[in-house]
Amino acid sequence: MEGLEKTGVTVREAGPDDAVGGVRPSVVALPESVEEISAVLRACAEHDLAVVPAGGGTKLHWGPPPERCDVLLDLCCLNEVIEHAAGDLVVKAQAGLTMDALADALAAQGQELALDVPFAEGATVGGTLAAATAGPRAFRYGTARDLLIGITVVLPDGTVAKSGGRVVKNVAGYDLGKLFTGSYGTLGVIAEATFRLHPLPADRRYVVAGFASHERVQEAAAMLAASQAEPSAVELDWPGGDAPFTLAVLVEGSAAGQRAEALREAMGAGTVTDEAPAWWGLITDDEVLLELRFPPARAGEVLEAVRGTGFALRGSPVAGRVRLELGAQLSGAMTATGFAGVVSGLRERLAPLGGRVTVLAAPDESVDRWGPVSALPLMRRVKERFDPGRRMSPGRFVGGI
Amino acid sequence: MVGKPLDELTAALHALLPADSVITDPVRLRTYECDGLTYHRATPGVVVLPETAEQISGVVRACNDFGVPFVARGSGTGLSGGALPREDGVLIVTSKMRRVLEIDLPNHRAVVEPGVTNLAITEAVRDQGYYYAPDPSSQQICSIGGNVAENSGGAHCLKYGFTVNHIEACEIVTPDGDLVTLDRMDPGYDLLGAFIGSEGTLGIATKITVRLSRTPESVITVLAAYESIEQGGQAVSAIIGAGIVPAAIEMMDALSIEAAEAAVSCSYPEGAGAVLIVELDGPVQEVVRQFERLQEICSGAFELRVADDPAERAAIWRGRKSAFAAVGRISPAYIVQDGVVPRTSLPKVLAAIDRLSQEYGIRVANVFHAGDGNLHPLVLFDDAEPGAGERAEAVSGAILDLCIEHGGSITGEHGVGADKAKYMPKMFSADDLDTMQLVRCAFDPKNLSNPGKIFPTPRLCGEVPGVRKGVHPLVASGQAEQF
Amino acid sequence: MDPELINDCVHCGFCLPTCPTYVLWGEEMDSPRGRIHLMKQHVEGTPVTPEMAGHFDACLGCMACVTACPSGVQYDQLIEQTRAEVERVHVRDPRERAVREIVFSLFPYPRRLRLLRPGMWLAERMAPFLERVHPSLGAMAGLAPRVGRRQRLPRLVRARGPRRAVVGMLTGCVQGEFFPQVNAATARVLALEGCDVVIPPGQGCCGALSVHSGREEQARRLARRTIRTFTRAGVDTVVVNAAGCGSSMKEYGRLLGREPGFRVLDLSEYLAELGPVADRHPLPVTVAYHDACHLAHAQGIRAQPRELLKAIPGLDLREVPESAICCGSAGTYNIFQPEAARDLGDRKAKSVASTGAELLVSANPGCTMQIAAAMRRGGAEIRVAHTAEVLDASLRGVSL
Repeated sequence: MEGLEKTGVTVREAGPDDAVGGVRPSVVALPESVEEISAVLRACAEHDLAVVPAGGGTKLHWGPPPERCDVLLDLCCLNEVIEHAAGDLVVKAQAGLTMDALADALAAQGQELALDVPFAEGATVGGTLAAATAGPRAFRYGTARDLLIGITVVLPDGTVAKSGGRVVKNVAGYDLGKLFTGSYGTLGVIAEATFRLHPLPADRRYVVAGFASHERVQEAAAMLAASQAEPSAVELDWPGGDAPFTLAVLVEGSAAGQRAEALREAMGAGTVTDEAPAWWGLITDDEVLLELRFPPARAGEVLEAVRGTGFALRGSPVAGRVRLELGAQLSGAMTATGFAGVVSGLRERLAPLGGRVTVLAAPDESVDRWGPVSALPLMRRVKERFDPGRRMSPGRFVGGI
Repeated sequence: MVGKPLDELTAALHALLPADSVITDPVRLRTYECDGLTYHRATPGVVVLPETAEQISGVVRACNDFGVPFVARGSGTGLSGGALPREDGVLIVTSKMRRVLEIDLPNHRAVVEPGVTNLAITEAVRDQGYYYAPDPSSQQICSIGGNVAENSGGAHCLKYGFTVNHIEACEIVTPDGDLVTLDRMDPGYDLLGAFIGSEGTLGIATKITVRLSRTPESVITVLAAYESIEQGGQAVSAIIGAGIVPAAIEMMDALSIEAAEAAVSCSYPEGAGAVLIVELDGPVQEVVRQFERLQEICSGAFELRVADDPAERAAIWRGRKSAFAAVGRISPAYIVQDGVVPRTSLPKVLAAIDRLSQEYGIRVANVFHAGDGNLHPLVLFDDAEPGAGERAEAVSGAILDLCIEHGGSITGEHGVGADKAKYMPKMFSADDLDTMQLVRCAFDPKNLSNPGKIFPTPRLCGEVPGVRKGVHPLVASGQAEQF
Repeated sequence: MDPELINDCVHCGFCLPTCPTYVLWGEEMDSPRGRIHLMKQHVEGTPVTPEMAGHFDACLGCMACVTACPSGVQYDQLIEQTRAEVERVHVRDPRERAVREIVFSLFPYPRRLRLLRPGMWLAERMAPFLERVHPSLGAMAGLAPRVGRRQRLPRLVRARGPRRAVVGMLTGCVQGEFFPQVNAATARVLALEGCDVVIPPGQGCCGALSVHSGREEQARRLARRTIRTFTRAGVDTVVVNAAGCGSSMKEYGRLLGREPGFRVLDLSEYLAELGPVADRHPLPVTVAYHDACHLAHAQGIRAQPRELLKAIPGLDLREVPESAICCGSAGTYNIFQPEAARDLGDRKAKSVASTGAELLVSANPGCTMQIAAAMRRGGAEIRVAHTAEVLDASLRGVSL
């Protein structure tokens, strides 16, 4: 570890709390600038040390544990808003900035990054990008990759590279931002990100309605997805089993009230409120967490497939993306083979619907977390080019990348 | 050395494709010498017109066997020379692949072949109340495959985003000839996101799943005429400042209005120094409220026209949509630029362009997507006049320098292609470009897929990036740069 | 070929989707942009190769590209000049030459056409045999219309009611011989709307077919004769009911280097200008209106015929999808390029059928022949009529 100390970057010895998926690093490096990240990675390259970058740590236990982890690169000290160009609806921020802090800074100017974070606090810009978690409003505004317009990354050999820029419309060069978004820290370290912003909506309303059957949910979802009332999000909450479904629709804009009322009528059920339901967009318990993707018209069949697995479901039937949670109690009760069986069973049910099942988090190491990935050979080639020494979060991604 | 592999390859191509899908006649080949940018020309070695993904895969494999480069082309309307052929290579033209394979309205998507035109997708679903949102000005002819390669935008991307935001999946032929599907739903790296906008350097899209959007409930198009560009620019800032996100905000200056009038008699208000086209769309209640605000903001306009039916809207858009080609009516030759600046820098940059224009004695017409700061300066010159072309080039380059200086981009939607590769080092550092090359090398280690585009110097994909091992003969001879 | 006109093309490609041959084959060489590029190659010294000539010959001359072009490229002039150049310098293969000779020594001459009239039923029967001899002969036979009773038109048809105008009327060659009822209807409509209609006897071909095929000399000769005929008749306006003839006559000034002493207007254009006075009787019929290229693209007349039709009570006007794309008739195209013409005809027939209309209306006899033949091939009969016939029926209060 002397190599690291020579860089002058703050380093501390790792404790048990710093373990990533049970793998305890030797040290935690706390760089304070892009240059320091670069210095740390260069030193790691020289000494063949494996690195796992971390932000707020909210999702660090997601994905398989790293094959090895010598250095935890904690980005918490890079937590500045670099530039908020309100007139241009653009913000550039450091990776370690929490999404909450960013939202506060933007709200002061009447703007927001339309990217919902599934955790009450702590999630950072970098972590949100690296895990590419989608929130309710992805239905209208797209996911992190759609709102990211520029990125600065540090490669495993310490090279600092940027792509995109600070203008929304820009097609010069490859979009490394897309490649790094959702890459689970396996290609390099996300250091800075520039996003396109939206004005804070003048008003917000939620239509919340209960449904007894998945057929009715599917019906309402299809109506909402095809609606010209432009809902910003349509979210479903379902504790699973025989419990009823709660569907909540977000309407944003100066006429949100009228539009919400019209949608409520079209659904034939529900109440209009200005408060989001308590569960809105959140991950409550991610000891075991699955993500299902599917063509939205098959939402009803997906719900039917999930019934009886013991999972609780939350997510967007109109965007075709839901997450399944298993409370700690239940996850304890489910055996490893039982869990693997549930996952492969779900995959079997969803495959003919054109759906995918990904295990985002699970303590069990034997389960196939990703399922089939058609472009895996190409992905391996990308990994080989960016990280030939396999030192960035090795083993944490699809196909053992 | 160049001729032989091509001859052998041509024989192999005849085995793969019907006779009339392999073009070798020199007169026919020359008609493919350029795309929408005529400034760069090269007669392709061979042109193939495949009709299936398997044929494209076969052609690409054959190119690999013989070490021959290939370039993909859709409708040939690109404005950066992205489909500029190689004399020593194969031009793979997808214009025969124009079937709409599947329309899946319940899932809001359609599956199409790459040669289908952008507008044809919308036409296929319009009656059902849907459309394909990205709308480049050439939408009636540009192909969706080309849109994917260039990550095309359009007037309405201010609100709705670009091609990349509307593509769900692509089946591609990789530079090795493999057929691979990149799907947004798949876990793993977002190779779809990296592929879209890679200008044909990472492979060829053979089947494209697009997202269809619901036709907005209400659309209002406003044409506001101002005495000057500055006043128009202020209105743009005020609109954005008011928290309105219109579907589109377009601006044209006096010179481009003149051209459009000559071409399509669009009857814009006389004496306008600038016209602003603002389109609001969405739920009727929102549009009505935004329109009220917009009217207040545009109160400084000397004429305000409002169109809320399709025919009137089309009349307003006609001038704007024809502006590029229409400039041919007021100038024998011109260069279209595509620089982007932060919206707030627009006034400064426009004033600087005006100074450049006067300094070089070269007229510049400005047509632009004002909402997102995407300028399309049309640098006008007479190619018969000695030195005019060079001066126009100089102005054009200086405009891009201005864009970079103000934190913008050298291209907002036309792509880098062959035309702007030389400006890339001004916008990106060597490390940035080398990192992009890593992606290139992962997809196309032999550098056969549209080589010579985007990146300023041809590079070779070394075995181990960053570690130089010996000198490649091409490097020694100065023809390439070792990566 | 004028290099200046060639240089007007900025290579934007907006013409491509409107070009029938590009729609069929998706090849650059068979698009307007590609053909202009070929012209450029020739002007820069490339000789006319058989391949090059083939791409020019494949152009229908529909001029949809002219409508679509934002740069104002005068492709109509370019292709005419090019066709003349091809005729001058290019030697065609003997079979092709023979067919062209038959057509150009037959069609522009009403008297020779008249001799064919009794043989029409035979042509229909012999079509399969002729097809084997030469596809063009087969195509000619397949298109042969069932000819109506010959109607001799008087030299002057008097206005009904107060006279509002005096106009000359072109009878045309194909129109006059194969579709005499259209001319009769045209004269009646004009008269009912208050026009004295002067119909000079001994009118020949206006020269359109020759212009469109690069036979400039023949074209000039026919044009001069037509001008002489109408000048002698003393009219200042000549109304034309055939789109191809109208568009060529409007270009006499360019062809001959001086303007004729009268205006040339299409029937629908003229009626729109004149304004209606006669009563319209109801016609409960569903109509698909087909834009003849030489009306819509060459003369820019799209709105007037639609408005005339819509003004008829009870008439339900349907738009044909892909209305800007040529039906493949294109003057003599269906004879010289039978396969392409057939494909385009089938495509158009499908579009027309999709409207569910009972009656197909167009302003060009060639189109009507072509689309009706295509629909027959597809097993879907549709009644056809010229705009003039529909108006005539409504004005007279008779059924169609």
